[in-house]
Amino acid sequence: MRVCLVGNQNSGKTSLFNALTGMNQKVGNWPGVTIDRKEGIVKGTDLEIIDLPGVYSLNPFTSEEKITRDFLLNEQYDVILNIIDSTSIERSLYLTTQLIDLGKRVVIALNMCDLLKKKGFHVHEDILSEVLKMPVIKVSALKNEGIDKLIKTLESIDKYQLSNLKIFDDSIEKAVTELSPNIDVNKRYNALKILEEDNLYLKKAHPEAEQIIKSLTKIYNKGLDEVIADERYNFIVKNKNLFFHSDRQEETISDKLDKVFLNKYAAIPIFVVIMTLVYFLSVGLVGNFTTGLIESLFDLIKTSLRSGLESISAWPWLISLICDGIITGIGAVLNFIPQLIILFICISVLETCGYMSRISFFLDRLFRKFGLSGKSIIPFIVGSGCSVPGIMTARTIENEKEKKVTILLTPFIPCSAKLPVITLFTTFFFGSLAWLASVSLYFLAIIIILLSAILFKKVYMKDETEHYILELPEYKKPSLRYVTRDVAEKVWSFIKRAGTIIFVCSVIVWFLTSFSWTFQYGVDIENSILASIGSILAYIFYPVIGHLSWAATVSALLGIVAKEQIVSTMAVIAGLADNVSNGSLIFADSGIFSFFNGVNGYAFMVFCLFSAPCLGAISAMRKELNSRKAMFKAIAYQTLLAYVLASLINGIGTLVMLII
Amino acid sequence: MVLTDLKIHQKAVVTKVNIANALLKRRILDMGITSGVVIEIKKIAPLGDPIDISLRGYQLCLRKNELSQIECEVIK
Repeated sequence: MRVCLVGNQNSGKTSLFNALTGMNQKVGNWPGVTIDRKEGIVKGTDLEIIDLPGVYSLNPFTSEEKITRDFLLNEQYDVILNIIDSTSIERSLYLTTQLIDLGKRVVIALNMCDLLKKKGFHVHEDILSEVLKMPVIKVSALKNEGIDKLIKTLESIDKYQLSNLKIFDDSIEKAVTELSPNIDVNKRYNALKILEEDNLYLKKAHPEAEQIIKSLTKIYNKGLDEVIADERYNFIVKNKNLFFHSDRQEETISDKLDKVFLNKYAAIPIFVVIMTLVYFLSVGLVGNFTTGLIESLFDLIKTSLRSGLESISAWPWLISLICDGIITGIGAVLNFIPQLIILFICISVLETCGYMSRISFFLDRLFRKFGLSGKSIIPFIVGSGCSVPGIMTARTIENEKEKKVTILLTPFIPCSAKLPVITLFTTFFFGSLAWLASVSLYFLAIIIILLSAILFKKVYMKDETEHYILELPEYKKPSLRYVTRDVAEKVWSFIKRAGTIIFVCSVIVWFLTSFSWTFQYGVDIENSILASIGSILAYIFYPVIGHLSWAATVSALLGIVAKEQIVSTMAVIAGLADNVSNGSLIFADSGIFSFFNGVNGYAFMVFCLFSAPCLGAISAMRKELNSRKAMFKAIAYQTLLAYVLASLINGIGTLVMLII
Repeated sequence: MVLTDLKIHQKAVVTKVNIANALLKRRILDMGITSGVVIEIKKIAPLGDPIDISLRGYQLCLRKNELSQIECEVIK
C-alpha cells in the first residue's frame, strides 16, 4: 500500500518518516528542509511511505511545492497521511480541507502534542476525528510515540469510510455538483479550481463554468478564490472550540528569546558572535591538539608499515606508494576529523533550533538592497556544511533570478571540505589567532557574495525581489539523538570520501610525482610528470602566490576533485620532495612549500575558497540551474573572481609587508 | 487602515486583501490571512522590514509592501 506523507513545511514530516521507516533523513527547524520526494518501507508491513516536500496548500508557490501537488494529482497511491502540527492547527487543517477534495482516504497524524501541552493547550483527537470524518492519531515523531497505533490504522484503512465532508456554502457546493460530471479526474478538486479561476485551461474546456462563476461572484461580491479560502478557514474556526482547548496564553519562551535574538541593536552583533563562535570552536579550540594526536597515529602506522615492508624486501616503489602516497594522502585529510565534528555539531544545532529562520528574517532588508532576499540566507548557512545541500535548498526561493544568483554564490561560503585547507594554513601561519583568520574568510565570503549580487542585479536583475513570506517557527531544543546521528553520518561520508576519491587521487598524484615521462621510477621530483605539467601552469598561478611553484599550482587545481584533496596533494608532494613524514611539516624550512607565508598563504586560501567548487557541487549547480551553459558561466565567474581577488590580496599584502 | 499602520503589539481584524498579483494573493489567503482573521504585530526586524505577525496560532514574516495592501480595523 502506497502512503503519501503530506503536511505543512516544518511540521515534522521527515521526523515522522524517519520514525516510520527507521531511516535518518535530514530534518531541521525551518520551512523547506525536504526539497524532493523520498520513499521508504515500514519494516514488517507492506506500507510504502513517500515523503513529499512540505506544502501550505495545493496551490504551489515554489518549485518544490509543485512536486507535491503534481504527485498528489497524477501519481498512484492509496492513502494520504496528513501530518498536522498541533501548535498551528488552524493553518494545518486548511491543507486537510484541500486534501479531502482529492477523494482519497486521509489519515491524520497529530504531531507535536507534547509541545502544545506545555503551552497549556489540548486537542481532543476523537472529536476532531468526528468533525473531519477520518481517523486521527496522536503521535510524537521525535519521541517515537503513537507510531505503532498509526501503523495499525494505516494497515486497516479499508475499515474506514471515505470522508465525504462538505464544508462550503450551499451555492458553492451546488456549483461543484454541476461542474463535476464533465470533469474526468480529481472531480471535486478540479471543479473548485475552475471556480477559483486558477486553472484557465480547464475553465476554457468548460464553457458552462463562465455563467456559474459570474452569478456566484455577484452573490459574494468578491473573487471566488477569496470566498473558497474564507470558507475553508471558517469551517475550521467554527469547529475549533469543539476539539481544541486552551487554558492560558502568555508570553512564550520563543517570544522571550526573540527579545534578545531579534533585538533592534543586538540582532546583527549576536549573529556575528554566533558565526565567530562556530569557527572559534572548530578551528581555534581544537586546533593543533587533536590534529597532532591523529598525525602521530598515522606516523606510527606509516613507520611500522615501512619497516615491515622493508624487512620482507618489498619493492621500493610499492613501499613508497603505500606510505608516501596512500597513507600520507588519506591521513592528511583524516587529521581534520575533530574540527569537522565540531563544525557539523554547530551547523546541526543551528539548523534544528529555529535560529536560521530568524537570521533570514532580520537580514532580509539588508540582502534586499543587494538584489537577494532573506530566503537566500538559508542556502548559505546550509552551505557552510556542504555546498551540495546548500545549492539544492535554493529551490525554496520563489523568484527565479534570485534563485539562480543564490545557487551561483552558495559555493563561496567555506564548506566543511574547505575547513582542512583553512585549518592547515591558519594554524601554521596565524598561530593562536587562527580562528580569527578563519572567521575573516567567512565574512569575506559574505562581503563577496553581496558585492557579486549587486553586479548580477545590475547585469540582469532589474527588479527587486517582490515578496517575502516566511513562517517563523518556535525555538526548539535540538534533539541529541538526531544531532548525533546527523553528525555521525556526515563524518562517515567524509571518511568514505577519503577512502575512495582521495585514495584514488592520492595514488595518481603519487604516480605522477614519482615517475618521469619515460616512466622511470625514483627520479628527482622536479623531473616528474606532475612537475613538468605544473611548471607550465605555475606561470598563470604566479600572481596568486608571488612564486613560481608547480607544487602549489597543481594542489590548488586538484581542489576541483574535492576541496580537501588540496591538503592531501600538498602532503604527498611535500613528503616525496623532502622525505617529510609529519603532515604539519608541510611548510618546513627549505621544503617545497617553504615559500608560503601569512600573506600568500591567505591569498592561496582565498583562491581555493572562491574558485570553482568541487565536482559534486558543480553537478548540483548543473542540475539546479538546469543548464550546462549557465553552469559553465558560473564556474568561469567563480574562478576568475577567485584569481583576481587572490592576486590582489597577495599583491597588496606583500606591498604592505614591504613598507612595514 | 492597512496593516502597516499598526504599532507593535497592536491587534486588528482583516477586512480586505487587496493584493494585485493573483499568485501572491492566493498564497496570502492560503496562509490564513482571510477576512475576519485577527492579526497581532509581533516583531519588527531590526532594519525596519520585514514584519513578523501572529495569526491563527503561528507567526508569519511579511514585508511592508504586502502588509500595506491588506486592509484592517484595529481592535480596542
